[in-house]
Amino acid sequence: MCTASGNEDDHIGNEVSAGAAYRSLRILAAATWALTGPATAADLTATEPSDATGRGSNVFQHYCAICHGTSADGDGRAAKLYDPRPANLKASRATDAYKELIIRRGGLHVGRSGFMPAWEQELTGMETRDVVAYLRSIVVK
Amino acid sequence: MIKHLAVVLAIACSGIAECAEFEVGQVNKEFTVTELKVKVGDTVSFKNNDPFAHNIFSLSDAKSFDLGAYQFGQMRKVVFDNAGTVEVECALHPGMKMTISVTK
Repeated sequence: MCTASGNEDDHIGNEVSAGAAYRSLRILAAATWALTGPATAADLTATEPSDATGRGSNVFQHYCAICHGTSADGDGRAAKLYDPRPANLKASRATDAYKELIIRRGGLHVGRSGFMPAWEQELTGMETRDVVAYLRSIVVK
Repeated sequence: MIKHLAVVLAIACSGIAECAEFEVGQVNKEFTVTELKVKVGDTVSFKNNDPFAHNIFSLSDAKSFDLGAYQFGQMRKVVFDNAGTVEVECALHPGMKMTISVTK
């Protein structure tokens, strides 16, 4: 169940924000789905995904797609600002640990572009791991 | 919430015309002003007043920029050197948006 482990959430920062409200709604939706189950396929898409890949996709589209693109191919609408361009994540051969590190600490921390910001103040630990799970699922083998 | 007013500081530019400088804060994942009108040559200072980083950028034709991520208390300045409408966003907080109208 997607949000069963509250102790996995090691969110940094004390801000009360739209992001926090968004996460609360996701937890509520997930709990409702778990109790009632989906009546139709449309219900599934309308509620919180129960798997890390699905949740990670949502986080990716909300925060990452602006640079990395909705298809994670590095062609987001902001990509034109950057040289080097944002990474094509479908072609990434990096390990999950590396991906988690660069997401949390940013590009400079791993010797890459400083335009990749550090997300650890904005994304919870669970959200970061979900994004990594999503990125693993989209790699073109 | 009482919005902070943009602070206008009139300074003398190196040219003949006088240029102004405006300050726009980032507070609670929002810009302290959502619409700002400036003249060509004016400067806008983006100051982070939140306890976490912001990454302000724009993709607008009139002025595109990326200020990079910066922390509480830090400020980044942008000179608006072309007329037009500039849509300003934050890469870390997709809901943060403001518009700067630049006129001659």
